[in-house]
Amino acid sequence: MYVREAHPTDEWQMKSNVKDDVCYAQPKTLGQRVAIAKDFSARFKFLLPFGIDDMSNAADNAYAAWPERLYVIDETGHVAYRGGMGPFNYKPAEVREWLTARYGAVKHEPASAVATPPSTGSAATSSSSRPAPATTAAALTRATSTK
Amino acid sequence: MKRFLKWFGGILGLLLLAAFGVLCYMAGSPKDAYGMVRYALPHMHRGTLKVGSDAPDARLLALDGSSHFHIRERISARPLVLVFGSFT
Repeated sequence: MYVREAHPTDEWQMKSNVKDDVCYAQPKTLGQRVAIAKDFSARFKFLLPFGIDDMSNAADNAYAAWPERLYVIDETGHVAYRGGMGPFNYKPAEVREWLTARYGAVKHEPASAVATPPSTGSAATSSSSRPAPATTAAALTRATSTK
Repeated sequence: MKRFLKWFGGILGLLLLAAFGVLCYMAGSPKDAYGMVRYALPHMHRGTLKVGSDAPDARLLALDGSSHFHIRERISARPLVLVFGSFT
């Protein structure tokens, strides 16, 4: 669920953004958001379904999501888990615990380093290849595939 | 009276300076402290959702840039994990 950028170049950019080559201005149009989302998806080979919030930030406002937050919605359409506000209270381990309590522990495959292709989207400012971090969201969904 | 206002202003100034110093320490630098106050705080909000609340619906754009879907369309026989975030 892609929401407004947390540390864009034209607002509060941090040193880590420059170090990690994640330098984007705050998108002003939905097309720019899509371009950045595509860059992210390509760089980290993100396999999960992607949803991009519109420019009215409807999803962000409804879920108080910015800058990052985790939720679990149960089968009845109710909030089953509400994570804390990121970055300090963003805890994927808590979602893992919830899923483990629901479905039991799963055997995790070792995370493999993924080679990253250079960014090609219009929002990219430079190209680089660097191993991508393991996506915790992908690891979490593996827990739901076993029972 | 004038002297009192002078002292009051001085103490208030010192307190504000100390608060800014603490903020700089928390944020990492004066630039980050400014960034936090100027850009982050206006967008941070606790929200009203609690465990048990109805999950709000919202219309989202798919990564292809043209098709849309609603959050509630993805609610099914399995729990739905929503991972909110951005690239930077």
